[in-house]
Amino acid sequence: MSELAGAPAGGVGAVVFWASAGLALACALLTVLSGRAIRSAVFLLGTVLSIAVLYTLLDAHFLAAIQVIVYAGAVVVLFVFVIMLLGPGSEVGRQRRMKLTRALGAASLLSVGGVLAWALAAERPEAALPEGFGTVRSVASALFRENVFTFEAVSVLLLVAIIGAVAVAKGKKSQEPRP
Amino acid sequence: MITLGHYLVLSVAIFTVGTIGFVVRRNLLVVLMSIELQLNAVNLALVAANRFHPASHAGQVTAFFIIAIAAAEAAVGLAIVVSFFRLRHTVRTDEADRMRH
Repeated sequence: MSELAGAPAGGVGAVVFWASAGLALACALLTVLSGRAIRSAVFLLGTVLSIAVLYTLLDAHFLAAIQVIVYAGAVVVLFVFVIMLLGPGSEVGRQRRMKLTRALGAASLLSVGGVLAWALAAERPEAALPEGFGTVRSVASALFRENVFTFEAVSVLLLVAIIGAVAVAKGKKSQEPRP
Repeated sequence: MITLGHYLVLSVAIFTVGTIGFVVRRNLLVVLMSIELQLNAVNLALVAANRFHPASHAGQVTAFFIIAIAAAEAAVGLAIVVSFFRLRHTVRTDEADRMRH
């Protein structure tokens, strides 16, 4: 199991890693660079699915399923619904280039360099994989035995978010004239 | 040989792309998508770290909670976008200046 699907295994695992890593990064870049919101949403879907493939490479099969169901099935679809709801209003046209945003972008690019160097220097040996790592049974055991209060708190948070989203989206009509 | 470093580098790269999108883009929808990119990058780092330290499932459980909270954040964020659009008939972040003095 760990030999076959383990991330550090050479051969097929490495090929799949490089393919999905390149796809994830390219789709992430296109998400940010696309001029239209609907294209950004589709490329976000590409990133999410590539990361789901990486999760299976990392033996996190349960999380890979959750990633596809929650992100590809709910979040991206919600984005597409809102883009369709707003129609042409979801585009903002050409944007002005601002000095501050450029400086911030350059700063975040530079800060990557440091983290990259640290991450590449930190080579860690692989530990042996325990039985049932990443399966529904073992993740559920960790979830409900050790983190049951966090789990319940998240369920309350989701309920509050649903009520809040409905309350905010109802809103009030604009008094300003349509431009 | 794919090591933890490879995954961390990919995670940092995606996080940076998300950060740049969050700072530079002026479309409220794309700003929200950039936040999703950042959360996905963090999740990837957590799951990869968990895979190389497999004694517990702490990383995967944390990633699970982050996915749940990201879904809630997307729902509330998009509700705010719809509400803002009804108010100003645009999704430009520059137009969100109601509370500015």
